[in-house]
Amino acid sequence: MTPSLEAYVLLSAALFAVGFLGVLVRRNTLVIYMCLELMLVAATLALVAFSRFNGTEDGDVFVFFILTVAAAEVAVGLAIIVALFRARGTVEVDRLDSLRH
Amino acid sequence: MTPTTTAACVLLAPLASAAVITLFLGRRGSAAAAVSVAAAAFVAAGALALAFGGARFTAAWEWLRFGSFSFAMGFKFDDLAALMLAVVGVVGLCVHVFSLGYMRDDGAKARYFGGLSIFMFSMAGIVLADNLFMMFIFWELVGFSSYFLINHWRERLSASDAAKKAFVVNRVGDFGFLLGIIVCYWSNGTVSLAALGGGPAGAHAVYSRLIPLLLFCGAVGKSAQLPLQVWLPDAMEGPTPVSALIHAATMVAAGVYMLCRIDVLVVPQARAVIAWVGTLTALYAALCAVTQRDIKKVLAYSTVSQLGYMVAAFGLGSVGAAMFHLTTHAYFKALLFLGAGSAILGCHHEQDIFRMGGLRSRMPVTFWTFTVAVAAIVGMPGLAGFFSKDAILVLAFESNRAVFAVLAFTAILTAFYMLRLWKIAFLGAPRSEAAEHARDPGIAVTAPLVLLAALCLVGGYWRAYPRAFEGVFATIPEAHGPAHAVVLAVSILVLVVGAGTALAFYATDGSDSLERRSGAVFGFLAALRASFDKAYDAYVAKVQQRAAMVLNFIDIVGLSGVVVRGLAGAAEFAGVGIRALHTGRLSTYVYWFLGGVVVLWAYAAGLL
Repeated sequence: MTPSLEAYVLLSAALFAVGFLGVLVRRNTLVIYMCLELMLVAATLALVAFSRFNGTEDGDVFVFFILTVAAAEVAVGLAIIVALFRARGTVEVDRLDSLRH
Repeated sequence: MTPTTTAACVLLAPLASAAVITLFLGRRGSAAAAVSVAAAAFVAAGALALAFGGARFTAAWEWLRFGSFSFAMGFKFDDLAALMLAVVGVVGLCVHVFSLGYMRDDGAKARYFGGLSIFMFSMAGIVLADNLFMMFIFWELVGFSSYFLINHWRERLSASDAAKKAFVVNRVGDFGFLLGIIVCYWSNGTVSLAALGGGPAGAHAVYSRLIPLLLFCGAVGKSAQLPLQVWLPDAMEGPTPVSALIHAATMVAAGVYMLCRIDVLVVPQARAVIAWVGTLTALYAALCAVTQRDIKKVLAYSTVSQLGYMVAAFGLGSVGAAMFHLTTHAYFKALLFLGAGSAILGCHHEQDIFRMGGLRSRMPVTFWTFTVAVAAIVGMPGLAGFFSKDAILVLAFESNRAVFAVLAFTAILTAFYMLRLWKIAFLGAPRSEAAEHARDPGIAVTAPLVLLAALCLVGGYWRAYPRAFEGVFATIPEAHGPAHAVVLAVSILVLVVGAGTALAFYATDGSDSLERRSGAVFGFLAALRASFDKAYDAYVAKVQQRAAMVLNFIDIVGLSGVVVRGLAGAAEFAGVGIRALHTGRLSTYVYWFLGGVVVLWAYAAGLL
């Protein structure tokens, strides 16, 4: 038997929550970045599930766009993190507080 | 050279002299003195040439234009201006030459002569001005030069205080003058003296009373009439030649001259006020003069008193009598001051008459010229003051007996305090080391004295003057029949009474006989003299200072505190609070982001 829509949505929500909590509590920028990706994937999963259960292609179209944008974003984001490490010698967010008052 | 060009040169020569001295000769006192004296000689020569050349003209140039309002600079050279310019030129030249001797060893000679030149420029401007605006500009300029020259010995606190006092008191009067000019322009549409001379057409009655009285305020300040007379005695802190030129002969007479200029505007109601102000000033100042010890202060109060005579004469309706007395007064008062300056110089800057004495044999030129001046001011028949004072008394006798009585009594006082001064300062034995060794100073000092003494001797015979000043002197009142005899008898009687009392009463023993023998009278007169200063001090301390403190409180607490500092404080306080939100920690911003999402969601769901 195929899982119900609720299961997909619950899984998506759980993935999103894990990603969000990761952003909140983790200190390493690279891990935070991965958690952000996890949140994107959670959203993608929900869209695919809705598309599948509604029998339309709308959600799938969104997914393609999200994947494309996420790939580009990763390219830019990782470059920033590398540059940050070169400049500061660390990627711990606790120590990246130049914007403090 | 046309007369207009000559007049322009007479006006601008002292200005050029002052500019040259200020720019190039600041440290070269003798060169500055030469330039300044040359300019004064040019003014005197030009003034006499203009006056006796017979040319009478008006000329005006537009200086500024704002829309329909045009501001003109121009000359109105009639007999009145010719007379005044001649007086200013002659007395000015005498004082310049005298200054060569008097200020010989002064450290700031260049500044002094530059100031004299600026004064000559400003005074010539007042005399020549053809409209009230221009007159006001030069009026302020003479006020400035007066301030500048009183303050010449600026290291003395009393001199700088006196200069400030003169400036502030004059400002009070000048404010009225300015208001008068504005009202005059508003109601008549012009301030040109020539246009006003055509009759103040269309002026409302109330303005026609207001205008002369407001303009008179300017004369009250400049000519030291009650209640603004307080600055003139203090102004004696300046060098003595300055006192002679500015604070006796010319500038303080500018108030009287200005009144004569605006004669057509003065309505009878205003004349009555003016006459009484002048009369009371004459009496008050004469009473004050009786108790003074300082030779220059006696002469200063005497000046105020004589200016009161002139203002009263104008108020009684005769420009001729006022200007005649102004002219003779310029001669004898300048001579008195220069004589006093010579005595002060001879006694090594001793100004207390009770520490002089015995100068008669030691300073013969000074003594005899001073004696001529005293005889002239007290109205010795045949000398200048006799004729001009007689003209005023005749005028008063015919138009207002009360004024006549006060002026006659003032004449007694005049004779009294002048003879007191003369006897104590020049007769008897020397009462100080300095007076013991006094000698007549050099020719630069004595020559002006002799020239002015000659003018005092002949200045009263106005009929002998060339016809140049006919337009002014023709209006001098003349008594006929019994009135003539009465006035003549009164003026000789007051002279004999005043002079005789003083000569008999005062001893030359170095103490004030009045103070010794009649302390109550002396105390009363001293208190009377101090009363105005006390009243003004009380006003400034009790009223003005407190009002200023209230305004200061409003400024500091209300404006600076609440409004300015308060707004800045509110912004700063908000900044402190909001700054706390910037932790620099990524998770904090995420929480804020989360909070924002929650709020947006709640809003979208209609919960907010």
